[in-house]
Amino acid sequence: MDSLIDPSDTESVDLGNDLDVVEQLEDVALDFLTQLCRSGMKAQRDASDADSSASEDTKPSNSKAKLNIRIPLADRTKPNDSATHGLKYLTYPRKLASGSARPIAQLFKVINLMHEAIHNDVPATKRRVLIYLSELQSHYHRRDIYYKDVQLFKTQKVVDTLVDDIAATLQVDRSNLNVRATSKGTFCGSGLTIHLLTGEMIRGNDAEATLIPVGEDIESFDFDNEVKWVLIVEKDAVFQTLCHLKLTNHPRLSSRGLMITGKGYPDIATRHLVKTFVPILALVDSDPYGIDILSVYRFGSRALHHERERLAAERVEWLGVWPSELTRYGIEKDDLIPITEHDRKKMDKSRDYQAFSLLQRPRSQMPTKWRKELIHMLHNRRKAEIEILCSRNLPSSQSNAEDDVDVDVDVPDDSPATSNSFKLPANTPMACGSSSTHSRSPLLQYLIDKLLHTAMVPPIG
Amino acid sequence: MSLAFLHSHNSKEAHQDAVWGVAWTQSDTAVSISADGSIQQWTCSSGDSYSDGPHFKTPAPHTLGLVSLSVSADGRFALYGSLEGLTTLWDLSSGEIVGKFESYVRSGEDAEPSWCVSLNPRGSTYASAGASGKLSIHSAEPGNFGQRLATIPSGRTKFGMYCAYSPDGKRVALSSETGQIYIFDVESSSLVNSFTSHAMSVRSLAWSHDCNLLLSASEDKRLVLHDVRVSLGSGGGAVATFSGHSSWVLSVDISPDGRLGLSGSADKTIKVWDIAARAAVSTVQDTGEVWSVSWRPKPPAVGTAGAFVSGGEDGVVRWWRSAGGGG
Repeated sequence: MDSLIDPSDTESVDLGNDLDVVEQLEDVALDFLTQLCRSGMKAQRDASDADSSASEDTKPSNSKAKLNIRIPLADRTKPNDSATHGLKYLTYPRKLASGSARPIAQLFKVINLMHEAIHNDVPATKRRVLIYLSELQSHYHRRDIYYKDVQLFKTQKVVDTLVDDIAATLQVDRSNLNVRATSKGTFCGSGLTIHLLTGEMIRGNDAEATLIPVGEDIESFDFDNEVKWVLIVEKDAVFQTLCHLKLTNHPRLSSRGLMITGKGYPDIATRHLVKTFVPILALVDSDPYGIDILSVYRFGSRALHHERERLAAERVEWLGVWPSELTRYGIEKDDLIPITEHDRKKMDKSRDYQAFSLLQRPRSQMPTKWRKELIHMLHNRRKAEIEILCSRNLPSSQSNAEDDVDVDVDVPDDSPATSNSFKLPANTPMACGSSSTHSRSPLLQYLIDKLLHTAMVPPIG
Repeated sequence: MSLAFLHSHNSKEAHQDAVWGVAWTQSDTAVSISADGSIQQWTCSSGDSYSDGPHFKTPAPHTLGLVSLSVSADGRFALYGSLEGLTTLWDLSSGEIVGKFESYVRSGEDAEPSWCVSLNPRGSTYASAGASGKLSIHSAEPGNFGQRLATIPSGRTKFGMYCAYSPDGKRVALSSETGQIYIFDVESSSLVNSFTSHAMSVRSLAWSHDCNLLLSASEDKRLVLHDVRVSLGSGGGAVATFSGHSSWVLSVDISPDGRLGLSGSADKTIKVWDIAARAAVSTVQDTGEVWSVSWRPKPPAVGTAGAFVSGGEDGVVRWWRSAGGGG
């Protein structure tokens, strides 16, 4: 490894950061080895002490090492304060049917792979192709790590959890550990262009979805000044429908916007949205799960608490769908879905989106408006999905004469595949069926209405 | 006798969120509970918040909405329950809280959060039901307020929406989210009757004063009158159906003389029904969903049809009076 001298040379600063992480990984291993040696040494000392004070009545002491190893890891279910976590421990030995050496072995296998990858990493700006050299792997996908030793890991989830635990413990990003995330996020809108490290550009489009590349490949975001609002859409099918309806550049709105799927939101939020001042609006289902998703967009999640400051955009507003507005948009109470006990009760900690646990959150993590809506939802004993807006004819005061004309919507063909295009296939399912291709789609009407009146997006003229 | 009802006056203040329960008490005050977590007592004649002096206390608003209200026959106590199952007994004349019970605390096999509560007219106990559809009888005495004295299964595990003691304190009616209505005998702790006249949630029940009739309000947009004396398994019981609302019926009451039914609906109207004639005789338009209605318990003046109080989505408590005479 080259020695790093010049702090103004960002490449070597990156190398410096990488070396810090390498050291931290090595520290975990060293800590384990130290504990192992100490236990062994202690057992030896005890054994020799026993020997020296041996009398004929004492039984021979057990000279086997009495191991007592504890490896601290961040406990992501217990966030401390703004950025740190409480601790949990991997201990050995432990009474476990499967043996307690396995968790430690799994941990170090993952650490080993991360360590290797960082060492093999070629400086980022010099990378030309996104293929791996089979012997010198510089980035591992979570899947790759799992397949390295399926017998050891047993499930993908074990790997995923360990990667997040290690990142939280070392207080670094997963990308610093050279573990790639899958991005299945997509965006829609001509106002965004993404520049890759390879020099290519991905230009957004107002009529179709564009896949967001993985974070490690992105050099920068180019955000058009004319984009005045950002809409996060929880569900892919609804997102697709709104793309095809060209919401991001609609004749009834005077300003352009950008739409992102829920999965794509963290990628763009960390890189760019935190720096801009456009309103960020979220469209989620009108149910406890939707409100939990909403709070993840705004406040971050407990599992990724250590990334919270980078992900959280406190400007995120709940655009819809609100339980309280359903009747105003012509939805009959009988069309709503009954709340189930599953929605209501507090379940296990890992799925903490049930209504009462949401209501127990402090005001700083559950705004008054959201609480009110949730309380009304529980009292009505009904919830709704975004798609419910597809089936209704909105009151005529909501529609506009311009929309009486059918807008010809082009469903995009599969463009000829190039090695760098990131487009979704044309047959990805849409919400709302055929009615959504019509410009009078109630879902579109609803969104335009809400963007105009709630988000204060100015109308045309 | 005119059966038109006119709006008389509103509460001088409004709750900050929907009113989910109202009750007109024997002392001519009204009690209202709200989604904003607050409970309020009002002087019916004026609409002012009730106070018998500067020291009169009203409970501080709860963190979650209040969903169930039951007022004692003598007007002395109000029992109310919150969304998550905190049950409170409030002395309406002194303003003191005399009992609090956290029904959501897991204290035993039968413990479950209460959704609906009802005070025994004879005092000393109250009934509750929750998600599993069992009826629980609790102590209402200050010393062991809330302690479960008996739990009676209904035979089904459907969400218990509304429960009500009969005026003579001998029975409790319970309605479920899937439409069943159960009648329990308190003394024997047993189920004595059940009705299946609804297939959708029954949100409210009202007993006639003589305890023979039960009027139910359902999300199927109907009210059904049941003769409770019909025996179990005979397949009958429903003696009349009242249709006319265009959305869920949320609340129901029977007038003190047993002649008029009263219903509040999600269709934003209140209807008065002539029970004997099986027909609506008055429809009053409100501005939002009407969650709760309650007749004045004192028999009306001769030549008038009485008065009632209502509460709904806008958080205002409203009084209405019969158009004839002085109301």
